[in-house]
Amino acid sequence: MSIPFTLNGTPITWDGSATDRLLDVLRAEFTCTGVKCGCNEGECGACSVILDGQLVNSCMVAMGRVWDSEITTIEGFRETEAFQILDRTFAETGAVQCGFCTPGMIIAAACLLQRNPSPTAAEIREALSGNLCRCTGYNAIISAVDRAAKEGCRP
Amino acid sequence: MKNGFVPQTLTEALAIRRREQVTPYGGGTDLMAEHHRAGTYLFLHRVPELTRITEDDTYLRLGACCTFTQVVNHPATPAILKEAISRIAAPAIRNLGTVGGNIGNGSAKADSVLIFFALDAKLRLMNADGERILPIRAFYKGRKELDLAEDELIVEVLLPRQMPERYIYHKVGARAALAISRLSFAGLWSVEDGKLTACATAFGAIEQMVVRLPEVDEILIGVPVAQLHRVRSQYLQAYSAKLNPIDGRISALYRKSVCLNLLEDFLDQIQSAE
Repeated sequence: MSIPFTLNGTPITWDGSATDRLLDVLRAEFTCTGVKCGCNEGECGACSVILDGQLVNSCMVAMGRVWDSEITTIEGFRETEAFQILDRTFAETGAVQCGFCTPGMIIAAACLLQRNPSPTAAEIREALSGNLCRCTGYNAIISAVDRAAKEGCRP
Repeated sequence: MKNGFVPQTLTEALAIRRREQVTPYGGGTDLMAEHHRAGTYLFLHRVPELTRITEDDTYLRLGACCTFTQVVNHPATPAILKEAISRIAAPAIRNLGTVGGNIGNGSAKADSVLIFFALDAKLRLMNADGERILPIRAFYKGRKELDLAEDELIVEVLLPRQMPERYIYHKVGARAALAISRLSFAGLWSVEDGKLTACATAFGAIEQMVVRLPEVDEILIGVPVAQLHRVRSQYLQAYSAKLNPIDGRISALYRKSVCLNLLEDFLDQIQSAE
């Protein structure tokens, strides 16, 4: 029996082991290489995806868990208007340096703004607290999300 | 499905649990971090009885597969549990991690388990033949050793509706988010007519299991808050005699010193709150 799920709006039936990691399957079999593998243990947020509307680390999800679920990766979110705003504010505030954490940051920001369109700085920090960045020192990222919210980013 | 089952009902889940060699999969965060993905998982997130929160006169009943996010957003969740959960890992982990998984992983560092000990929660376990209910303290036999049969599942965490009114909670970790507890403390109490009428304390992450010593807390019960200083050293000495922290990433000596400091803070807090 295969595992049915929806990936970035496309229905999939996937025939593999239920114990495989979503992160590996997304990268190796669906070329969603914007989903990065940083730590393998849920501590860095680089592999963030949206599972049925909620932010999760795809390294922490076995394929059986996505049975009948909807997954959105940065490759799917990239097609939205909300992404265009975040893309611009991240560039304008200098929130990207090496870029490795950026897809996870954008996905975490999208999940926050979907739930809370006008977050405080403290709420932004809390929402991004599971996403590590070793280049920018975070302040530029917080500003980018804050600016996107003020510009009406509604994922 | 290869190497997995996704039951839609509790009856179906219990039948599979009896028939097959499976590892129950709650939120998966501990299982996936362990990296060895051999074996077969029993995915429980589709079972309605395991994913809902209900209330009756006696208990707030948390389905074992309720996520931390679900529990923290529920209006009836006690404030001390909300505070402890909000300090677990980060939002993405709290969206996956479950209360039953935190218990079933068997670690004394599990931050929600500390609160379940302090609240004297009970667990409802089931197999295909029926159920049993036992105090969470009886469920833990040692590190990673649980009173759970091969064919049983944790179905609900039962939190007594009647609980002390005030609390303090401390988590000692290396950073604000994504921190594994180096030590954690929960203390709850009630005062009526100037006397302590209830007191329940627990320590996490210091020994192989969460430490909960009601016989020591008993020293404080019935004592007028204004007279607490008279039993202070008796209480601290009784605790000190029973605490045997283990050496790990941090030393046993450090752990014990912090435990006793937290108990002093706890007593100060009781007095200053009045």
